[in-house]
Amino acid sequence: MTVERDEESRPEEGARRASDIRFSLHLLRSNPLVVAGIIISVGTLVLSATSGFIVNSGSWQHYQPELGLCWNNPVINWGFKNIFNCGGKVYTLGTDLKGRDLLSMIILAIPTDVEIALEVVASAVAIGVVFGAVAGYAGGLLDEFILRLTDVFLSIPVILLALVLVVVLEAKGLPVSLSLLTLALVVTWWPVYVRLVRSQVLSEKERPYVESLRAMGASRTRILFLHVIPNSIYPLLVQATLDIGSVILTVSALIFIGLTPNPYYPELGNLVNMGIQHLAIAPWLVIFPGLTIFIISLGFNLLGDGIRDVFDPRLRR
Amino acid sequence: MVAVLIALSFIMFYLARGLLPPTTALAPFITPKMNDVEKLALAQSLGVATASCPSYGAFSTQVAGCIVPLWGQYIGWLHQIISGNWGYTLLPGIAGTQTTWNVFWARFPYTAELAIGASILTILIGFPLGIISATHNNKPPDHVSRVIALGGYSLPQFWFAAILQVVFVLDLTVRGAGIFPGSGSLSTTCGICVGNIGTIHAYTGMPVVDSILSGNLAYFWDALVALILPALTLAVTSIGALTRIIRSSMLESLRQDYVLLARSKGLKERVVVYRHALRNAILPAVTISGLLVAFFLGGAVVIEDVFSWPGVGSTAVAAISVVDVNFIELYTLVTALIIVVANLAVDIIYAKVDPRIRYT
Repeated sequence: MTVERDEESRPEEGARRASDIRFSLHLLRSNPLVVAGIIISVGTLVLSATSGFIVNSGSWQHYQPELGLCWNNPVINWGFKNIFNCGGKVYTLGTDLKGRDLLSMIILAIPTDVEIALEVVASAVAIGVVFGAVAGYAGGLLDEFILRLTDVFLSIPVILLALVLVVVLEAKGLPVSLSLLTLALVVTWWPVYVRLVRSQVLSEKERPYVESLRAMGASRTRILFLHVIPNSIYPLLVQATLDIGSVILTVSALIFIGLTPNPYYPELGNLVNMGIQHLAIAPWLVIFPGLTIFIISLGFNLLGDGIRDVFDPRLRR
Repeated sequence: MVAVLIALSFIMFYLARGLLPPTTALAPFITPKMNDVEKLALAQSLGVATASCPSYGAFSTQVAGCIVPLWGQYIGWLHQIISGNWGYTLLPGIAGTQTTWNVFWARFPYTAELAIGASILTILIGFPLGIISATHNNKPPDHVSRVIALGGYSLPQFWFAAILQVVFVLDLTVRGAGIFPGSGSLSTTCGICVGNIGTIHAYTGMPVVDSILSGNLAYFWDALVALILPALTLAVTSIGALTRIIRSSMLESLRQDYVLLARSKGLKERVVVYRHALRNAILPAVTISGLLVAFFLGGAVVIEDVFSWPGVGSTAVAAISVVDVNFIELYTLVTALIIVVANLAVDIIYAKVDPRIRYT
């Protein structure tokens, strides 16, 4: 008899879920801001994956100082006469001090930032899921210890801790590199996810379905990783999407204030830093790389905000 | 709470002492005249070198048995700082002439002033935006205010600061209307002029507050103008968090029965929104506003650096580059203390504002 009931309820359940997903997609589509977010973030990811095919990835080391700081795109008039020679070529976004095409540099720089952001967020989520689930499910002394540890890390400004880590490791003989920056950011970023997963687990584990699973004899690990965590995935997804934007902002800020492996390396914060000395004679060097950071970060934030609204039962009508 | 601070100080201590050479520990105390015997005595009195260490050379080359184990060093260091001995600063320009403690507290008011200014701006802009967003849910004003909020949140601070400087400082100066200083806390003076406050009396160390207290209006205007751009940059990037919270809690409370009742009584929409809905939605906003000040105190590192604001954040960046460990420790501990205390204060305010909340 139970088998019969199971077979009856399944198609109904499937149909409900499908209509639920369709409704969610409809909500996502109906908000122009979310659509903009989807377009920007997917576009960014696609551009990062293909940038090597669009621009020769070695071209950032190809210096032509004689073509430096020139602008001859007639669309924007900066209000002053550019005295530098462009050698007859039209550069869409002008050139930098080393005579490199700024547009190509930005295209090369996007994957650098996106890759760091994805690595940092993925590692932080992984650490957060493991420690947060353990803390929330085990409770007691272990929970208390993990919680206090996150307290410690959350009471230091992210930028400062990352800065200290990089400088200390540099003094220890490790040159500043992008992987060092990534590591420093992972060290500062994980506590948020531990907190998030822990609070989700705490609220989920009191639900009736967990009780019935326990009554059916499911093991703790099984309940935790196959049921509780998949059910807490949406808040995690929202936080991760929002954090991609934040990590890009933080890493570019760190590189901007001087933690750079090479002052001419194509990374968005680095490009702004390089341009800032020539702000008065070549404002494009600061404006466009910064604008790129802003648009990418805004895209992921719009997307994360949209997902939050769609899956927030309170705002869903 | 105390445990958090101790753990934090140990982590920072480990980063500094565990990974850097032991001579780093002596740097804030060494004077140029010291010979090796005195240096060794210093190392021993600071609890870094063991009593049996034969010479300073053996200590600096880290001969086995010459260096006290890390835990012992930590205890010695804790002893030093509890008795208030933070040593001399290593900051370029004033190295060895001023104590770390004095440098920190002379510059802290600047950071505090920036944080307070930014919080006021954030609340002034964030509250109306959040309310408009909620009362016009999913209509154009909502979209506009969400774009402003999220846009601010997505802005790279350093870039926004640079653009502001170009637009307001360079451009307006060229047109003969420049009022904003590009950097520093006073438009007429250099960036770091902590002791030289001109014609006002330093009551608090915060230029804007001090100039009011001294009744010097010209100085007040000068200091206020200098504060606007950095405070605005700091505020713009955090309006989003406040707006989002106010929006969602207002949406929640506008949907409650008492709002329906208030509307059906025929009350004006303005009264319904501000007297009935807002009052009940304000609690989460109080939390986040309380944390803003703490967040600003710690988060101003990049902005202070870009605007050459003479606060503790930009000094911390300078201190990191010369490996001035004690300054970083002091900065981290004070920042952490402020954040921890702010959290506690928010909890207490919460319980005061909402009588339903009881802490047992």
